[in-house]
Amino acid sequence: MTSDTMSIERYLAQGGKLSAPENVPPRYRAELMKLMASFVDSSLAGAAGFADVINAGPGIKERIAAAKIVLKKTDHADRVLRIMAGFGTDTARYANAHPWAARLPRDADIGTQRSEQDMRLAVFNYPLAGWGDAVVMNLLMGLAVGVQLEEMGRISYQPLAEVFREIASRERRHTELAIEGLERLIAEGEASALQTSVTYWRPRVAASFGQEHSEKFERLQALGLRHTPNAALRTRWEDEAASVLTQMGLSA
Amino acid sequence: MPRFHDLEVTDIHKTIRDAVVVTLKPVNGAAAEFDFTQGQYLTFRRDFDGQELRRSYSICAGKNDGVLQVGIKKVDGGAFSTWANEDLKVGDTLQAMPPMGNFFTALTPEADNSYLGFAGGSGITPVLSIIKTTLEAEPNARFTLVYANKGVNTIMFREELEDLKNTYLGRFSVIHILESDAQEIDLFTGLVTPEKCAELFGSGWLDVKAAKTAFICGPEPMMLGIAQALKDHGMDEAQIKFELFAGNQPGRAPQRAAASAATGGAKTATITLDGATRTVEMDPTQTVLQAALINNLDAPYACSAGVCSTCRCRVLEGEVEMAANHALEDYEIEKGYVLSCQAFPVSDKVVVDYDQ
Repeated sequence: MTSDTMSIERYLAQGGKLSAPENVPPRYRAELMKLMASFVDSSLAGAAGFADVINAGPGIKERIAAAKIVLKKTDHADRVLRIMAGFGTDTARYANAHPWAARLPRDADIGTQRSEQDMRLAVFNYPLAGWGDAVVMNLLMGLAVGVQLEEMGRISYQPLAEVFREIASRERRHTELAIEGLERLIAEGEASALQTSVTYWRPRVAASFGQEHSEKFERLQALGLRHTPNAALRTRWEDEAASVLTQMGLSA
Repeated sequence: MPRFHDLEVTDIHKTIRDAVVVTLKPVNGAAAEFDFTQGQYLTFRRDFDGQELRRSYSICAGKNDGVLQVGIKKVDGGAFSTWANEDLKVGDTLQAMPPMGNFFTALTPEADNSYLGFAGGSGITPVLSIIKTTLEAEPNARFTLVYANKGVNTIMFREELEDLKNTYLGRFSVIHILESDAQEIDLFTGLVTPEKCAELFGSGWLDVKAAKTAFICGPEPMMLGIAQALKDHGMDEAQIKFELFAGNQPGRAPQRAAASAATGGAKTATITLDGATRTVEMDPTQTVLQAALINNLDAPYACSAGVCSTCRCRVLEGEVEMAANHALEDYEIEKGYVLSCQAFPVSDKVVVDYDQ
């Protein structure tokens, strides 16, 4: 065995993984907790928002699909919250700490700002406007989450990386459901209303990738909490979204 | 939140000169809570000179061994490990939280899996639990262990590993890599570096391609080198399981500074974050977190409700009062930790640190 010791910071900078709350230095803990809280809050807020549109589904199949998405998103929040519990979070209180269904007016302009109450991504502060709008939002956000979860699956806190990798495959299914739903709506002649929703949601989902140049990214990168810059992730999402939308005759 | 339970020491014996294997029995009907998964660890607590210390040690028993056993290697200057090695006796009571940790993969009896294990020194403890459990639960499984030590006399569980080789003939093999003791095969002497791994993988001693999962537990540089070598040989990141040493835990904390006299009116807060320190004015109706955020300090927070503990910081000087605390435990509060989203200044001057 090697006898030389290594600081946790150097270990992380070289790609090392941490495995338990006991190994985690204070600033790493803080950034990791923020990241987990952001995911949990976004999932709970997303699920709460989607729960309201279950009844707007045009048929039983659609309502089942929407209900499944609500179930999965809530379950994903639970999985990450359980990791937060290892750091001391009171999970029962946390789950009810905020009114997750609360939304701002549809025309509110908050950019990338999060609300003061919780850490959900800004995009989850906007309300859904009916079934078609919800399907569009779910498609664009589903593709974004796919890109973001791939990044998060590489995170240096191994228990969390494993949870994110599990979640990633399930999130892909949501996106498939959204594509199926969108195709059905287009066949029913809803293309123009859907295009309005695409125009509304696209910049808001794009903002969830964060600032173009972020000093924070480098700090997180040194801790192994981030790997690919925001702009590169956003570009990947833009390409994927454009390809899916074009195939369906919508413009990105 | 997990609770501590009493465990009785039913056996304690040395595995090498400076490491003990402690067998524990949950008392007061807590046995079900200690039903562990291979590779997990126990977190113990004990008071040393009026201050609570918590230390985690991996379980070394297999899941079906019918006992709860941990291995504790003495660390230089380590209060808990020294005490466990020198003073702990059969009949003593220890306090531990139920098993935790994710250093394992699911087992499937009918599978035909091949596994690799890499352990350095006392890093063998959780790997031993995984080896025993896996070979028993998956009758077709093969397991190869690379075990790094300074010399022959520092090899923990040496006889136990030999026994396992005999029990699972042809399914379990061990390669001992010794830093200072020469061996018949040159390849087995020295440090487990990426180069050494590459030689082992290239020479056919280990089949990386066939392996489903690799488990690594040891000192950080060793783990990094092995992981790199595995990836270079085609293993995916998701197939590599790491467990950091228990030895890499924060040391003993200094005592909290005494609070200065409290009065009303404006207060000052000196806030350290990411290595930089700033002193700001604050209103007594503001929390420490609000004071930091208003002054453009990127202090961490999430729930703002005293629930999640993201905003935890340490009070080094002065006194604050928390409106609510659902996340910090008594021992953390004793060390001066507070939830900054809930912490209002009581003394005129407050010094806090988010980096500790």
